[in-house]
Amino acid sequence: MEAAADLESSLELSYSGAGPGGLPPARSRIFKIIVIGDSNVGKTCLTYRFCAGRFPGRTEATIGVDFRERAVTIDGERIKIQLWDTAGQERFRKSMVQHYYRNVHAVVFVYDMTNIASFHSLPSWIEECKQHLLAGDIPRILVGNKCDLRSAIQVPTDLAQKFADTHSIPLFETSAKNPNDNDHVEAIFMTLAHKLKSHKPLMLSQPPDNDKIHLKPEPKPATTCWC
Amino acid sequence: MSLLRRPPPDGTAPHEYNSKKKRKVAEIYQALNSDPIDVAALRRMAISEGGLLTDEIRCKVWPKLLNVKTDDLPPAPGKELREDNEDYQQVLLDVRRSLRRFPPGMPDEQREGLQEELIDIILQVLQRNPQLHYYQGYHDIVVTFLLVVGERLATALVEKLSTHHLRDFMDPTMDNTKHILNYLMPIIDQVNPELHDFMQSAEVGTIFALSWLITWFGHVLADFRHVVRLYDFFLACHPLMPIYFAAVIVLYREQEVLDCECDMASVHHLLSQIPQDLPYETLISRAGDLFVQFPPSELARKAAQQRVERTAASTFKDFELASAQQRPDAVLRQRFRDRLRVEERTKSFLTKPRTNRFVKLAVMGLTVALGAAALAVVKSALEWAPKFELQIFP
Repeated sequence: MEAAADLESSLELSYSGAGPGGLPPARSRIFKIIVIGDSNVGKTCLTYRFCAGRFPGRTEATIGVDFRERAVTIDGERIKIQLWDTAGQERFRKSMVQHYYRNVHAVVFVYDMTNIASFHSLPSWIEECKQHLLAGDIPRILVGNKCDLRSAIQVPTDLAQKFADTHSIPLFETSAKNPNDNDHVEAIFMTLAHKLKSHKPLMLSQPPDNDKIHLKPEPKPATTCWC
Repeated sequence: MSLLRRPPPDGTAPHEYNSKKKRKVAEIYQALNSDPIDVAALRRMAISEGGLLTDEIRCKVWPKLLNVKTDDLPPAPGKELREDNEDYQQVLLDVRRSLRRFPPGMPDEQREGLQEELIDIILQVLQRNPQLHYYQGYHDIVVTFLLVVGERLATALVEKLSTHHLRDFMDPTMDNTKHILNYLMPIIDQVNPELHDFMQSAEVGTIFALSWLITWFGHVLADFRHVVRLYDFFLACHPLMPIYFAAVIVLYREQEVLDCECDMASVHHLLSQIPQDLPYETLISRAGDLFVQFPPSELARKAAQQRVERTAASTFKDFELASAQQRPDAVLRQRFRDRLRVEERTKSFLTKPRTNRFVKLAVMGLTVALGAAALAVVKSALEWAPKFELQIFP
């Protein structure tokens, strides 16, 4: 457990596992991660894969914002990872989704490797995210999904990598569907969780104005297509 | 249908129950066969216990509730429908993924055929009404009509619905949808301030109810019978009724919410997982109650502390005007209107909603008032009840 003072300073401090008539809940920190990107890129499948450990049989269009969570243990600390899965259609993000940017600890941008348009939308997603997140320095990652559909790939890795470097966002290419890539979806979110854990100031809902600690993206994000 | 499925709440014997249903079927056909068609009675039937009972009846009554003429349906779409349609890709993506909306066990081929029809209906309505914009979830509403009344009639019904009940959801932006969601918390506050305050401190927002509202619960309810029962109700009512129903569900789950951790994630998560065994009939009559006690105009005034012109009396005026639309002949229409105007004055005096939240209206009074409110469908929900600037969203 972290020092009590640290925990108290975090507005995200929460009691988990509380239920009607349940035992006194155990304390655990919460990492809130928002997952955004165009319609049909696989945001729901990625979050479902991570939280439920499998590819969902049938997914539908997400309307508004869905929520999934999973408890993990990192370096002996129990942490809840909350994934906020958002609707892809533009009209939703313009007026509905902004509520969910509040107190977010990390952002996952998703595009569909078999759909170049979803890749071309990324700059507007990144820009929008910047507008919502006044804190600025929160970790962001870029995920190219559906890498199992090799013959249909429209977004080559080098193109995506160049884009990622320009924006200093680590890139991952994965597949929520292919069971062989199961560990990789897991690894992506766990990497993010580790990163969040090692940067305690990020736990503050209101980032300190003065001695702001800048989180530098990892100098050379190791990018691998784990297909 | 739930009339059939569920044991009667008052413990009446099954045969008594069946005879109740038979009686209702007879009443519905009587209203359908009267000349002119007794739309007010059909509205009451759609609202009251069990709704319209069967899809066969729905095929006949839904068009009447929407004032759609079944002998003048829009022509079948041409081949060019899918070309040059800016929404086509999005519609395609959403419809292809909407497998769960079709009855389990339906052969793939049949389902795929229906999905193609679904795409056509949506595109045709959008093409004929360029002011309307597609939103994800619209397909969940359209599929319900397709499955109950078939492609041609569904196109006509959905078109009417889209220019009326759903109009606010189909603006270029979702600002008006957000305004409608803003009614949710004031309704909850009227009935249960403690619950309201808890939800406010959790900062849960109202997005958990977004899909309920814009799909008329079609997106979240697994049992199609429940969906069509609710559609009976909503089709017979004011466009804002779905938000009252949403409030009623939250109120019904009061204890669960209050037992929940007071934060956005927990409360959002709890509420967005809608229980599948809700007591629909009870909730429907509760929603009707709330609508009469706290009509939209009242809520708007309360929440925004602003004066609005609309009162219960003007609701009845709308009722009269809308009912008059169904009359075939202008002279008759005028006469009917004059007669109603007298009745209206009496009625509005008698049933004018009072602010006391303990006021309980008699069931009969309720259905009359609901029928009235329901007919007050002007261009859109928000035109009827002015927006209020309650900032729930930051």
